[in-house]
Amino acid sequence: MHRITSPENLESVSRRLAAERDDGKVLLTVCGGPGCQASRCHDVASEVRKQVKDREIEGKVRLRVTGCHGFCEQGPIMLVGPEKIFYCHVKPEDVGEILHHSVNGGGVIERLLYTDPSTGKTVIHEADVPFYQAQTPDLLLQNRQVDPLSIEDYLAIGGYSALAKVLSDMEPEKVIQEVTASGLRGLGGAGFPTGRKWAACRAAYGEEKYVVCNADEGDPGAFMDRGILEGNPHAVIEGMIIGAWAIGAREGYIYVRNEYPIAVEHARIAVNQAREYGLLGDNLLGSGMEFDIQISRGAGAFVCGESTALMVSLEGKTGEPRPKDVEPVERGLWNKPTTVNNVETWANVPSIIKNGASWFGGIGTEKSKGTKILALTGQVRNTGLVEVAFGTTIRTIVEDIGGGGLDGKKIKAVQTGGPSGGCLPESMFDLPIDFDVLQEKGSMVGSGGLVVMDEDACMVDVAKYFLEFLQDESCGKCVPCRMGVSRLLEIVTAITEGKGKPEHIPLLKDLGETVTEASLCGLGKTAPNPVLSTLNYFMNEYEAHINEKRCPAGVCKALIHYYIDPEKCDGCMACLNVCPNGAIYGEKKQVHTIDTQLCDKCGICLTACGRGAIAVQ
Amino acid sequence: MNQYVTLTIDGSKVSTPKGSSVLDAALRYGICIPHLCYLPTISESGACRICIVENIVNGESIITSSCTLVAKEGMVIRANSEKIRKLRKNIAELLVAQAPNSRAIQDIAVKCGVREVRYPFRHDDCILCGRCVRVCQDLYQARAIGFIGRGSQRYVGFPFDERPDFCKRCWACIDLCLMKETPCDGPMEIGQEYLCGKCESTTMAPQFDSGDCIRCEMGKGFGCTRHNM
Amino acid sequence: MLTTLAPILEGRRSQPHLLIEVLHDIQKDFGGISPDAIKAVSTELGVPLMEVYRVVKFYKAFTIVPKGKNVLTLCMGTACHVRGSNPLLELALELLDVQSGETTPDGLFTVEAVNCVGACALAPVVIHNGIYYPHMTPAKLQDLIKQLQEESQEAKDA
Repeated sequence: MHRITSPENLESVSRRLAAERDDGKVLLTVCGGPGCQASRCHDVASEVRKQVKDREIEGKVRLRVTGCHGFCEQGPIMLVGPEKIFYCHVKPEDVGEILHHSVNGGGVIERLLYTDPSTGKTVIHEADVPFYQAQTPDLLLQNRQVDPLSIEDYLAIGGYSALAKVLSDMEPEKVIQEVTASGLRGLGGAGFPTGRKWAACRAAYGEEKYVVCNADEGDPGAFMDRGILEGNPHAVIEGMIIGAWAIGAREGYIYVRNEYPIAVEHARIAVNQAREYGLLGDNLLGSGMEFDIQISRGAGAFVCGESTALMVSLEGKTGEPRPKDVEPVERGLWNKPTTVNNVETWANVPSIIKNGASWFGGIGTEKSKGTKILALTGQVRNTGLVEVAFGTTIRTIVEDIGGGGLDGKKIKAVQTGGPSGGCLPESMFDLPIDFDVLQEKGSMVGSGGLVVMDEDACMVDVAKYFLEFLQDESCGKCVPCRMGVSRLLEIVTAITEGKGKPEHIPLLKDLGETVTEASLCGLGKTAPNPVLSTLNYFMNEYEAHINEKRCPAGVCKALIHYYIDPEKCDGCMACLNVCPNGAIYGEKKQVHTIDTQLCDKCGICLTACGRGAIAVQ
Repeated sequence: MNQYVTLTIDGSKVSTPKGSSVLDAALRYGICIPHLCYLPTISESGACRICIVENIVNGESIITSSCTLVAKEGMVIRANSEKIRKLRKNIAELLVAQAPNSRAIQDIAVKCGVREVRYPFRHDDCILCGRCVRVCQDLYQARAIGFIGRGSQRYVGFPFDERPDFCKRCWACIDLCLMKETPCDGPMEIGQEYLCGKCESTTMAPQFDSGDCIRCEMGKGFGCTRHNM
Repeated sequence: MLTTLAPILEGRRSQPHLLIEVLHDIQKDFGGISPDAIKAVSTELGVPLMEVYRVVKFYKAFTIVPKGKNVLTLCMGTACHVRGSNPLLELALELLDVQSGETTPDGLFTVEAVNCVGACALAPVVIHNGIYYPHMTPAKLQDLIKQLQEESQEAKDA
């Protein structure tokens, strides 16, 4: 590693590194993303390293553990060779065979191939996997090419060339113009035009300014930012340096939530590497620019994802939001002008500078440009991270990329935007992913979480879930949020317990509106969205709970009971033996019965019964 | 150098020193914006949200608490519109349902037009207005009490729940507490809470209330600054 | 107390904005942040005692009582919720007779519910001391807890 001193120096280093990558060895790419990590991909990688050493084939095989590819459902994922043979659910035991085939020129291991459920046929190459075909991967594509722990990989694929272009050729105002022209909007949730934010911050009074990267991804079900920060931290760093140049900041912070220790580690390593190469610190690329980044950790508070609370937390205090009568771009961190942007927003900046505003503007819809990474999860076949152009319909994402529902169940709704967002019914799946369209319909793009729900999800229960979450995470400072969310939860809980009344519906709407209008910060302002959107589109479920004391999806415990189908029960006593409450009676080979007074519907018997004889009513 | 700024509140032009809040400006002129957690000379909070107003910017209405909103030249404020009155009523309803055993809260409920309480009463003895915390921090600089925890678990307490030796025992916290005075008819038993509404007869109904101060008796309950003038 | 905390406080004295980083380090090294540690941090960093206490109580990552030997982290994120995380939490709390976020009196088990660990494809997820258990079911969780209880008993007897 040596300091890069100028844009020309950077170009020659990049060219050299790119040439080194092209070394004729067979490349094994193992996805190191969050899903694959949890499926123990690092055990697979270690096994590869060990066997390569034992067999002395270092000259023939190269291993690269990269950032998240997105197909978490099928992890651990391994790509082999230039044609990118696609293996999924790879285990350490498979490594020997894979290495044998790689070194001896070809051959495909059938059992490790992906089977397309709609055709029943196996797919050999990554390019043919349907999950990837409907996507427009830009950031995720970069993820697949780099080892996040290697700045050399990032340089080899042209990393930091956007920074070189900016420092040698673009005045700060020009950078802001370019970003504004691209149409980039904040990808953390609010969708505020990024260029406008930077311009306001640049114009704000003061010499000392800050840029902050909001990596406090707190929306449950969202892990896009984790995928980027862990998978390709240099893209974020490069984006932040460019932003700092545009705004006039000399210091930056990356605030990472505490629950992402690996992201913290990768970010720290990347920052250190950038410093060693002279890409952070003084006189960057000989331009005279001074800029450095510090990594800061959150400590378990969802509210710290709100930008004013985040800045208070950076100052070492409790994350209580401040009123936004004065915007952070004028008075933020330590009362100085501050630009807070999301991880994904920062990561898009280098591509925009490299390829130009019109390239970016050519992707997406009229008012929502570029791509968005979504975390596709829930009751859908293919879960993971997907990157789509704005304008892609929900149906495409759920059916073509997601592969449709599980076990042939019918999909009922998608929930977008986390606890600040709303639920949209299947009838609206032809809507595009677009900031304004979804907001108009009562939901939002939000951070990018997209949870699929099928007929087994109770929408009233979903509303209750989000209200419980928000009640737990509310900072508690202001009355509408603290007391309002508590009362909304009280009412929705009563409905799920069969104590709902018809007058609860207008009350939920009235209170919801009050909480939205009167709360101090974004958490409170968007807290009623899950309730209001489910009331809007799934009124029939609320009515069933209130008027008929019935939960159509069979979820709300007070309104269901478990029973054993006498036709199917063969008296094997499997359920009886596992029931923690002793609620099941019966002799061997005799039909069993459940005592509903003792049963607390924990669900253990459901999985224990091999005959599918236990049902929920 | 102009030390004053002029802004419009509900159609009336008012002048106020630079740096003062919209609430300060209104109270100075006798325009009643109901407020609960606000205390003059102590830092503002914006917690109770009773003092909310509409700030009209570029034709758009932004709702914010008037105690934290710094008055600027040419600002246009609506403090008594139908929308604001409805929001205040709903917030006051939440407050009285949470902590009905307080004269101040019953007073503010009437002032904001609450006629019925649609939620089951709870019997809390603190609404986290923060007056005690702020007076301890700002006036006496002791920081012996503070907000602990988050969300519905939040409460005001001492470090480690023990009175520290640096508590100055000034009792200002208790003096300013909104729960100090019980409702006029006496303290309410648990399970026997109700909306008092007695002062209703001495005030105008909210839809006729122009927002100008009528020096009502209710101001006493929460120490309305106008009452002391 | 000050001697044990010295390495953590090194280079950070009188810098109030580093409070959260300091608390993270104490939590990691000692499993919890004791009242004495809170008082020491207040003095050394120059942050009022009330503020340090508030920060410890505000953030979920910090505990005053040290966490148990076995920390069971249950993900309650949306994806895990629709695949059944609630019954898992109720079961864990019932079997160990403890409240969410708290530790059993014998110091062996802590059950905590967190909001999304970012492994949504493997929902519902339970983490035990850093090891991820994917696609958890009530039956599997019951087995896991039983196994951990037996192992703790063996360790005690040994």
